Amino acid sequence: MLIEPDNLDHAEALATLRAACAGGDRSPATLLNLAIAQDRNGEGERARRLMSELAVLLPDWDEPKLRLAESLRQAGRAAEAERAYDAVLEVNPRREEALVARAALLIQLGDADTAQKLLLRCIGINPQRAEAWDALGLALMLNGDAGTAESAFSEAQRWAPAVLSYALHRVEAAHAAGQLPGETARLELAADADPLDPVLFTALGLARERLGRRAESIDALETACALAPAAPIPAMMLARLLAHASRLREADAALRRACDLNPGNASLCNDRAAVLMRLHRHAAARALLDTLPPEAQSVTGVLCNLATVLVSLGEQEQGEITARRAIALDPASLLARRTLVNALPYRSGVSGAEMLAAVQDCAACLPARPEPAFTNSRDPGRKLRIGLLSGSLRTHPVGWLTVAGFEALDPTQFDLICLAQATGSDAIARRYRARAAEWHEVDGLDDVALATLARERSVDVLIDLGGYGELGRLIACAQRLAPVQVKWVGMQTHSTGLPEIDWFLSDKWETPSGLEQFYSERILRLPHGYVCYSPPAYAPDVGGLPAVENGFVSFGCFNNLAKITPEVMVAWAEILRRVPGSILVLKTYQFSEPEPSARVRDAFARLGIAGERSELRGASSHRQFMAEYNQIDVLLDPFPYSGGLTTCEALWMGVPTVTLPGETFASRHSTSHLSNIGLADWVAPDLPAYIELAVARSADLVALATLRSGLRERMKASPLCDAPRFGRDLGVALRHAWAEWCSRADGEVRSAPLLP
Amino acid sequence: MDTVLASPDPDALTRRLAELIAAGRMGVARPMLAALQRLGPPSPRLAELAALLAMREGRLDDAHAALDTALTAHPGHAALHRRRAEVRHRTGDLAGAALDAADSVVLDPSDTSGKAILGVLMTELGRAADGVRCLREAVAAAPRDPAYRQGLADAQAANGELDAAADTLAAGIGLAPESQELRNAAVLLAVRRHRFDDALMIAEAARRDGMADACLFGLKGHALSKLGRDQEAGEAYKEALKLGPDDPYVRHLVASSGWLPEASTAPPDYVRAVFDSYADRFDAHLISLGYRVPGVVRGALMRHAALPEDGRLGPVLDLGCGTGLIAVAIADLPVGPMIGVDLSPRMLARAEAKQLYAALHEAEITAFLDTDETEYPLIIAADVFCYFGAIEALMAAVSRRLQPGGLFIASFEELAAGPETERGWALGGRGRYAHTAGHVATSAATCGLTVLAMDEEQIRNEAAAPVLGRLAVLQRPRDAH
Repeated sequence: MLIEPDNLDHAEALATLRAACAGGDRSPATLLNLAIAQDRNGEGERARRLMSELAVLLPDWDEPKLRLAESLRQAGRAAEAERAYDAVLEVNPRREEALVARAALLIQLGDADTAQKLLLRCIGINPQRAEAWDALGLALMLNGDAGTAESAFSEAQRWAPAVLSYALHRVEAAHAAGQLPGETARLELAADADPLDPVLFTALGLARERLGRRAESIDALETACALAPAAPIPAMMLARLLAHASRLREADAALRRACDLNPGNASLCNDRAAVLMRLHRHAAARALLDTLPPEAQSVTGVLCNLATVLVSLGEQEQGEITARRAIALDPASLLARRTLVNALPYRSGVSGAEMLAAVQDCAACLPARPEPAFTNSRDPGRKLRIGLLSGSLRTHPVGWLTVAGFEALDPTQFDLICLAQATGSDAIARRYRARAAEWHEVDGLDDVALATLARERSVDVLIDLGGYGELGRLIACAQRLAPVQVKWVGMQTHSTGLPEIDWFLSDKWETPSGLEQFYSERILRLPHGYVCYSPPAYAPDVGGLPAVENGFVSFGCFNNLAKITPEVMVAWAEILRRVPGSILVLKTYQFSEPEPSARVRDAFARLGIAGERSELRGASSHRQFMAEYNQIDVLLDPFPYSGGLTTCEALWMGVPTVTLPGETFASRHSTSHLSNIGLADWVAPDLPAYIELAVARSADLVALATLRSGLRERMKASPLCDAPRFGRDLGVALRHAWAEWCSRADGEVRSAPLLP
Repeated sequence: MDTVLASPDPDALTRRLAELIAAGRMGVARPMLAALQRLGPPSPRLAELAALLAMREGRLDDAHAALDTALTAHPGHAALHRRRAEVRHRTGDLAGAALDAADSVVLDPSDTSGKAILGVLMTELGRAADGVRCLREAVAAAPRDPAYRQGLADAQAANGELDAAADTLAAGIGLAPESQELRNAAVLLAVRRHRFDDALMIAEAARRDGMADACLFGLKGHALSKLGRDQEAGEAYKEALKLGPDDPYVRHLVASSGWLPEASTAPPDYVRAVFDSYADRFDAHLISLGYRVPGVVRGALMRHAALPEDGRLGPVLDLGCGTGLIAVAIADLPVGPMIGVDLSPRMLARAEAKQLYAALHEAEITAFLDTDETEYPLIIAADVFCYFGAIEALMAAVSRRLQPGGLFIASFEELAAGPETERGWALGGRGRYAHTAGHVATSAATCGLTVLAMDEEQIRNEAAAPVLGRLAVLQRPRDAH
C-alpha cells in the first residue's frame, strides 16, 4: 500500500521504511514508499532520484512517474513537472490525478483550451471527480465563459459539498455571469434546508458581499464560523468584512481568532493592527507590528500602518520617514502616498508647498478613467441636487461641524443626496436623514458603482467629506461623480491635489489671501467661518475659573497625541517655567495605554519639567471629556496641526485657546474659530509670541474669568453657531460654484473669479 | 483541500443565540436557532429562545405555539410560563397572562421578573393594589432595575397613590441615575399631575446630568409652555427636534407648540406609535381621565337610531375603535355585528380580547373607507376627529359608506369660533385637533349629510376640569343615491 497524504508521522514512517530496506525488502512498493517518505521529510532531491530510478526500472508503472511529477510541482519546478505529468499520461492516458494536475499547470500558463480537453477526458473517465470539475470551471472562467463555469463548479460542489473553494468559485462565476441574485437565492434556500452546513453559509456570505449586502453577509459568515469554529477561511472572511464595515470591536475579536487559525499570516496581523489603531489602541498596534518577521515588516501595507501608528504616538518624523520608505518601495502605491499625505500635516515645520507637492503626488496615483460628459441642465437658478459623500454623517467631527449648516440650507433651493457609509443611527445621523431628500448606503459599492450611482441620481454639486481618510472615496471623485466637486470638512487637512475637485470650502482666516497658491482647488470662501458648530445637548454647564479656587493656573490641551510634536513640548515646557506653580493637563485617548504616557512623561522630565506639573489623562465619555474643561483655565493649541472641533468644544465650555497658525489648512482651524467669535487676539504670529501670549493671558485672572462666564452666550450669538446665517452663506457659495459651471461651454475649463 | 465540516458546540451556540437575540441580530439568530433545533432534541431553553425570537420579530402566534408545545412537555417550567405570560400580555389575553405569571412565581418564588410581570398584569386587570404588592417585592429584590421601578410607579398611580409613585421614581433615579426611562417617567408623572414646576425641575436635573433625549426635552418644553415661559419652551422643543428629528411623537409635540409648520393630519406613524405604547394602559387611563364618549354615544344611539324590536341594526362600523370601549358601552343594545378599524395593532389586540367585534382591521381610517364596499346603517367615530385637522375628506368617505337613512355619530373637541379659527380647526396644545361646530356642520352639508343633533358634551376630564366637546349625529337622507 502506498502512503496517502498526512496519514502517518513522516519521520516515523521514514525510519520504519529504512529499517525494512536495510532488512532486505527491496520491493518496488517499499522503495517508492521510502521515496515518498523522504520527500515529505524534506529530502526532495534524494526522493526524486529514487523515484526516477524506479520509473526507469519499471517503465510501464505509472505510479513512480506520478509521484515524481507531484514532487516537482510541490517544489515549484513547473516546467519539469509538466514533462513528468506528460510521461505519466504516455504510460496511462486515463490517470486522473495526472490529467487534473497537468490541466492545472496549463491554466497557470493561460492555455485554457488544452486544459479543458484534458479535464473533459478526466471527467469522461470519472464523472464524480470533483477537482476536475472545479479545474474545468477555472479554465472556462479564463475563457470568459462564466455561465458554463458556474455549471462546472456546481458539479464539483455536488460531488464534494464540504469543499469550500468549490462553493466560493461557484459564487464568483455566478457573479461574473450576472447570475448572482439567483445563486444567492439558491444558497439561502439551501441553507434553510441544511442549517448545519458551514460551506453554504460561507458561500452565502461571499454572495451577499458581492451584492453589496454587507450586514447580511456578516450574518451569514458569523453563522458559518459558529458552525465550524476551527475553519480558517470563514474566520478570515468574517474578520475582514467586519473591519470594512467599521464594526471595530467585533472585527478585533474576529481578527484575533482568524490570526490564531491562520498562523503566520502577516497580512491578517497587519489588518488587526489597522483595526487596533481605529480603536485608538496605537501602542498595542505597534507592538503587534513589531512581532512580524523583518521580511513581513518591509511590505508596503505594513510600513503604511507603522507610519500611521508612529504619527499617532507622537513620533511624527519617524512616521514621515517610514511613509517615505513605503513610497520608495512601491512608488505607484496609492496607499503609501495617502499615508504620507495623512502624516505630513502633523510634522513640525511642514510648509504649504510641501503639503501641496505631497497631495499632488498622491492624486497622480489615482487611476484616471475617461469621464463621460454630464447632462445636468445648465440652469444657474434651478433647485440643486447636492451630494454628500461621507463615512461620517453621524456623531463625529464631520457631524458636529456640518449638520447644522446642512439643516439650514434652504430646502426649496437644495435637495441633499446622501451617499453614506458606516452611518449607524445616532442622533446626528438621524438629523442628516431627516434633512436628506435621498439616502444611499454606498458602503458595499466599488468606485465605479459609486460613480454610476451619483450620475444616475443627477448630483449637481458633490461635497466630499472624507478626503484621503480611512473611509474616504476620493478615488471615486477622480472619476467625477458630479459636474461640480467641492472639498469640505472630513480629513480636510489641506488641498486634495486632485484636479477633479474644483472648489475648496474655506474662509478668510483658514485661507487668507496669499495662501491660495498652496491649493490645487479654487477657494470658495465663506464670509463668516467655514463651519457651523452644533454643541451637544449633554454638554455640562460652564463652571467658574479653576485658578481662582486652585491658586495656580491649569493649562490644558485635549488634542490627539499625533498633534503634539517635540517642538510643541519644548514651547509648553517654557510656558510652564515662565508661569510658576502652573500645571499642564493633557487628555487624549492615547494616554489610556501606558507606553505613550511613559514616553511623554520622560520627554517632559528631559525638558526639566517635574512630574507633578503635568497630568496625562486617557479617554472618557464625550460628556466627561467636556466636563473636564471645567478644570482648565487656558488651552494651548498644538502646532502645526491645530485643534478643530476640540477648540470649538473648549470655547463652548468657556475656555479659550492660544494658537499659532502656519501655512497649511490644518494649522489654521483654531485661528478661524477664534476669529469668528471675536477672539482674534488669541492668535499668535510666531512661536515667541505664542509663549508670551500664554504667559500674559494666564496672568490676568479677572479678564479670564469674565471671558469665561460670557463665552457660551457669545458663541451662541456668533456666526460659529448661527445656523440660519451659515445656511444662507453656504447656499450662496454652492450656487456660485454651480453658476460658474453653467457659464462654461461644454468641456471648457476656465478659472472663475474668487468669491468675494 | 479546504474541506469545512460542521463541528458546532451546542452549549456555546445556545449562549451565543441568547446574546444575538438580545442584540437584535435576527439575521444570525434565525439560522443559529435552526441549526440548534437540528442538532439536538427539543429543550425548554431552546423553546424559550425560539419564542423570544418570534416575539421580537412580531410573530406572536408562533411564539405562543412554541411555548404551548414546550409547556406540554415540561409543564413545571417557570421560565416558559413567564415567557408565555409576556406573549399573552402582548396579544391582549390579560387573564391568561396573569395565570402564567402566577404559575411562574409559584414554581420559582425566587424569580423577580415573574413577580414584576404579575404585578403589571394585576394592575392592568384593575387590581392595582395587588399589582403594587407584587412590584414592591420585585423592586425590593432588584432596587436598581428601572423597569420594575417604572412598573411599580404605574401601579401606584393606578391605585391612586400618586405621591408614592413619584417617590418610587425619585428613589429609582437616585439608584440608577443613568436611566433615561425613569427620568422621563418622573417628568411625565409630574406633567400629568399638573405639577409643572416639579416637571421642569426633574427635567433640568436630568439635563445637568447629561441626559440628551428627545422626549425629555419635549416634555420640558411642554412644562415650560404650561408655565408661560414660551421662549424657553421653544428652545427646549428645538433641542428635542435635534435629538429626535425623525421621531413622529416629538415632531407632533413640537408642531402642536407652534414651532413647526402645522400638518393637517397627525402622521399615521405618530398615531400608531403613541397608541401602541399606550395600549396597555389605555382603558384605565381614559377612564381615569373621565372619558365619557362611549356613554354619550350610547345615549345618542338610544335617542336617534331606529333600534329594531328584534334582530340587530348592523353591521356597525367603529372607526378608530381603539381597545373597543364603544363596543363595551353598546354591547347590550340590538346593534351589530361590530366592525372595528384602528391603526394600532396593540390596541386591536386589546379590542379583540373583548370578543365583541366580528372583524377588526389594522388600517388608516380613510384608506379603509376608500377600499371597503359595505354600506352601513351606523358608523361611529369616537375621538377620531382630534387626529384630523381638515375633516372634509373623512366625512366624504364616511358618507359614501352610509346606507340611505344611515347614521354617522362622531365626537369632537370644540374650538371656540374666533378670528383665527376661520378655517374651522386648529392644533391644540396637547397635540389634538379641535374643530368649530360650524366647520363640522358645513363639512357634513358639503357631503350631503343632515345634522340631526350636535349637542354640547363634557367628553372627558383633564386635571379634574371638564374638556368640552360635541357629539354630532349626522344622517344620510333616505332618498340619497
